[in-house]
Amino acid sequence: MASAVSNLASFEYLEKLPGITFRKLYLEPSTALAIFRRMLPHLAKAFVMALLYMDKPFLLTDLDQWVQSNAKRQRDEALSTLSRLHIVTISAPSRQEPQVVSLTDAFRVSLRLALTGGGNHQSFGVPSSDAKSAGIELEFLDEYGRTQWEGILHYVVSTGRSGAQPTAAVQQLLEAGNLVSRGRRSTEITQAGFSFLLQEVNAQVWTLLLLWLHHAKELGMDHVEILSFFFMLGSLELGKAYSIKTLKPTQKSMLENLVDFGLVYIPPSVKDQFFPTRLATTLTSDASALRSITAGFESALSTGSGTAGFIIIETNYRLYAYTDSPLQIAVLALFTKLTTRYPNMVTGRVTRESVYRAVSSGISSDQIITYLSTHAHPELLKASAAKGGGPVLPPTVVDQIRLWQIENERMKTTYGFLFKDFESTDEYKKLLKYADEIGVLTWASKTEEKFFVSKVEQLKDYMKSLKAK
Amino acid sequence: MPPKRKATSNVRGGTKAGRDSVVSTPGPNTPRSLGSSDEYSSASEGEKELVEENVAKFSMEAYAARRDTGQQRKQDSASHLFGNNDFTWMNLKPDHANRPMWIDPKKGRIIVESFAKYKEQALDFLTTVAEPLSRPKHIFEFALTPHSLYAAVSVGLTPEEIIGNLDMMSKTPMPENIREFILSCTHSYGKVKLVLKNTKHYIESPDPQQLQKLLQDEVIGPLRVQGTEEIITTIAPKLAGLVIPGTKNFAGVQQATDLRGKERVAEAANETPAQEDIVNILNEDDEEEESVEAVHSFEIQDDCVEIVQKRCLELGLPVLEEYDFHNDKANPSLEIDLKPSAQIRTYQEKSLSKMFGNGRAKSGLIVLPCGAGKTLVGITAACTIKKGVIILCTSSMSVHQWRSEFLKWSNINPNDIAVFTSDNKGKFSGSTGIIVTSYSMVAQTGKRSYEANKMMEFITKREWGLMILDEVHVAPANVFRKVTSTIKTHSKLGLTATLLREDDKISDLNFLIGPKLYEANWMELAEDGHIARVQCAEVWCPMTTEFYSEYLKLPSKKKPLMWTMNPRKFQAAQFLIDYHEKRGDKIIVFADNIFALKAYATKLNKAFIYGDTGNAERMRILENFQHNDKINTLFLSKIGDTSLDLPEATCLIQISSHYGSRRQEAQRLGRILRAKRRNDEGFNAFFYSLVSKDTQEMFYSSKRQAFLVDQGYAFKVITHLQGIDDLPDLAFNTPAERRELLQTILLANDADLELDDRGDDLFHTNDGKSQAMKKKKKANARRTAGALSDLAGGQDMAYVEQNKSKSKELKSGKGSAFFNKIKRENEKRRKAFAE
Repeated sequence: MASAVSNLASFEYLEKLPGITFRKLYLEPSTALAIFRRMLPHLAKAFVMALLYMDKPFLLTDLDQWVQSNAKRQRDEALSTLSRLHIVTISAPSRQEPQVVSLTDAFRVSLRLALTGGGNHQSFGVPSSDAKSAGIELEFLDEYGRTQWEGILHYVVSTGRSGAQPTAAVQQLLEAGNLVSRGRRSTEITQAGFSFLLQEVNAQVWTLLLLWLHHAKELGMDHVEILSFFFMLGSLELGKAYSIKTLKPTQKSMLENLVDFGLVYIPPSVKDQFFPTRLATTLTSDASALRSITAGFESALSTGSGTAGFIIIETNYRLYAYTDSPLQIAVLALFTKLTTRYPNMVTGRVTRESVYRAVSSGISSDQIITYLSTHAHPELLKASAAKGGGPVLPPTVVDQIRLWQIENERMKTTYGFLFKDFESTDEYKKLLKYADEIGVLTWASKTEEKFFVSKVEQLKDYMKSLKAK
Repeated sequence: MPPKRKATSNVRGGTKAGRDSVVSTPGPNTPRSLGSSDEYSSASEGEKELVEENVAKFSMEAYAARRDTGQQRKQDSASHLFGNNDFTWMNLKPDHANRPMWIDPKKGRIIVESFAKYKEQALDFLTTVAEPLSRPKHIFEFALTPHSLYAAVSVGLTPEEIIGNLDMMSKTPMPENIREFILSCTHSYGKVKLVLKNTKHYIESPDPQQLQKLLQDEVIGPLRVQGTEEIITTIAPKLAGLVIPGTKNFAGVQQATDLRGKERVAEAANETPAQEDIVNILNEDDEEEESVEAVHSFEIQDDCVEIVQKRCLELGLPVLEEYDFHNDKANPSLEIDLKPSAQIRTYQEKSLSKMFGNGRAKSGLIVLPCGAGKTLVGITAACTIKKGVIILCTSSMSVHQWRSEFLKWSNINPNDIAVFTSDNKGKFSGSTGIIVTSYSMVAQTGKRSYEANKMMEFITKREWGLMILDEVHVAPANVFRKVTSTIKTHSKLGLTATLLREDDKISDLNFLIGPKLYEANWMELAEDGHIARVQCAEVWCPMTTEFYSEYLKLPSKKKPLMWTMNPRKFQAAQFLIDYHEKRGDKIIVFADNIFALKAYATKLNKAFIYGDTGNAERMRILENFQHNDKINTLFLSKIGDTSLDLPEATCLIQISSHYGSRRQEAQRLGRILRAKRRNDEGFNAFFYSLVSKDTQEMFYSSKRQAFLVDQGYAFKVITHLQGIDDLPDLAFNTPAERRELLQTILLANDADLELDDRGDDLFHTNDGKSQAMKKKKKANARRTAGALSDLAGGQDMAYVEQNKSKSKELKSGKGSAFFNKIKRENEKRRKAFAE
């Protein structure tokens, strides 16, 4: 669905790529298929499927007839997405010829190949011919992916001191991406980092992969190859061994990093095969499939307690979280004063100090509230439903968390321009009046004949016109 | 200030000489510092140490240290966040989802899900054995304390039952140290009972060895009444046919001719609705065994009861006090019953069933929110015991309220209920009856009038069946000691809404009066409509610039006045009063600070009452507030905090308060909980607390709310009152007015800053010496420093009489008929002249 696609900010990056990159990307059938599955709204998919086996360009007016008249907006959206991703070309409007639409060549060829099979592109990976090393079951891969990924998240919430630290390369990457900032003694989470934590796992993976893509570009790696490798990973089958030999050199060098992320696993015994984990194979699932798989993955992430909500917050600011996952606890610790931990529950309190601490490390009160309400325990949801859909969290607590943040934000900075030393009081008054009228005035002192505005362009023109008189 | 220095120095010597001498001279060991409100008298130091020592012995920490080292402690990356409070090593039971609670092995805290399957039983049981800490909506917290276990044992639970039930409800197996803790606490409690039988005191125990041990004790041994049998063995009592009046099966039982009939007993026991809780279900099984269980006792001298109690406490065997009133033939019975129309509510019944658990009356405390009918509980208890009753209240106002409540709910002969206050010293006519008096009247040490002396003699010379201590949290322990030592009573019932003090010395009450028998859940009562639902709000009033800069400069003593007199706060108060008066609410405004109280009330032209307001004037103002629809707002100082029954009030505004006192906040909230209109659909009472932003008041305010917040109340923060700027005649709207106000405040001298110290914590002796002293102090000349220009009006100050007191107006309206007539005639004449 369109909304599911648009909320993944990571993909905006792709849309900014130049056409030439897309043409190169579409050479791989796996990429074409992944983009088709992952990034297109349903209507756009229908268009692509209809156009796929047409030999001639299609009249745009005919296309309009497929769409109900009241869905013109969706049609426009679909078409603009398609053309931004360089999947279709639409001829420029002219008087002589009517507008036509057609699939770009590279995309058409690759998608046809992906759907019908054939060719020797090896785009969907080559299953390893060697004997599969024993003991690599789905559970093992899930567990492996989980520990690797949690290790990274842990590092982000700065609690990785007793657990295994992610590799130096990952640490650098997180720092470069401004997800953490290195303090004197330890690393601290940033606001971006907290937003990162609040995302779904799939979105988190993409965020990190794209960060890494930026990073790789600086190292001179071909980002087309990297991207197409990502898309290839998404089309692999979980639990199967794939051959490393057939990969391109860039892709081979990438594997090491992907191992760090927990996207692939290379058994120590057999060096030339790799296993994608669930993190990798769900990379390009389409929206509806994504949800159930992530849900499945999340429940795998935190055994037993990881279903929907687990947090109860009371009007007395006490917080009870049904969890035993160190990661969730660490996230809670960012803004709560935790007191006691039981085998399947932790208790704590949201205090003024704990919120201050969170705010000073860049987490906003709204983020805290969002986190609390998205993870609210079913009991809270039930209570709010009983009241006819009232707020999930106690309103007083929500207000208070906001107020605690505001308390420390009394100073407001406005960037702008100071006007002083006027030629005459008359000039000052005229300019002041004008600034006020156009609504850019932020501060004025009549006694000192000064004022401060947020924007200067119109005032400049006005001054000129005054002078001209 | 102690009213009499001589007496105190006397006792101080005694303290030094050692415990025993203090103990053996209970007479002069009386209130020592009536002037210092929250302080306990040092006369009780010996006792205090003792209690503390005893409490420390049973503290949870002592048991926490010994954790089973065999347990593997799991460590993970989140463990460091919890330090020693990581209990992941506990194993979850396989069916933990069906069990509602966790136990903290270190502090004895219990966390319960209120949405679990068997929550009713679980919560009921927990209120019996543990101290409720917080009871909001979903998850409740309790704490196991020696006191709570003491109370549990006193209502008849055995340690095995306590442990068995807790273990059954817990998601994790019961930690070993908690088990030990419960066993050791309960082991020592309740083993020895102090029973008054036929006016003789007996020490009773089911375990003869325990008694032998006591008899051999160097202190207790000699106190045994000489020439009596060493140990008497009798049959243990049970809830034999005792029915608390007002309960459902009371009516049925009344008709039955032989109350003691065997069948009847069994039926009554089964039918008592209060037995629905786990406690009693479990008891039922044991009932038959119990009936053949024998108890042993020996008699002790009447005047040594306190010594024995203390000694037992030292030995770690606190005695329970019980009164077998059924078999008390020596004291005449009192003709008293509840009126048939009086129906007591389930929670009241529950609390009373705890008190009369085994057919005898136990001493203890019952905690119910204000307005939840504490008086009726007291009356019902009196009707159950049917012996002489003495009731102690905090003020003469509530003395009268108690008396009229008695007449309202019970069929007592008005001649049998007497009042003992400074202006009223009645005695009852019959052989026994009820006396209502105030703490101050009984505990007074100074010279009394002849009549009062006579009255005291009358009280101390007889034996009472029940003593009801109203608002038991207010008085310091030494007052209770004095009261309990001078008045001979078989059982004591303490009533309060807020069993907490900032100095935390409330726990001493457990030993001095008895364990807490019952504590109601506020939210539950509000849901059921027994008390009003309340919307709480905290209004943040920013300080004006000039006030804030002055606030920063002033010494801390004067600061409270600055945040109270903050013009923005004044405006907020004005706005809220205006708003709620228009809605038809009756409003009470609380201000601790007398200066502010007067300033607010006179400026807004409202009636006010504070400590110096005479009794007659108080009554007049209160009557007007209740019945006159022109008088909708009443300003009260601290004196209004407790026992003021104003069911008309529906809105409460608090403008200044006693620092971080949680109790005051709760007590004040109590003033609107009994709102008459509470059962109207959608009715909400309002509680506003006005706080000046960026001052220390904010800090105190959050502290004050802690108790109510734990009861489940939510304080909404209001940063801006919608429409306040549109209010016509908004006070202090111009800088000049504000400056003038500031000047007035700065000129106010220390005498004006005095808080009304006759609040709920002290006895306000309307008749004692302290008032005389106060008057004297007030009469002193006022000296203020100032320039001549100040006096001449140079500082925006000029004398204008604008602040007329509304209270005075009320008075004049009710003046003599003669003058009213003249006034009316003058009025007429003027009108005629004008025409």
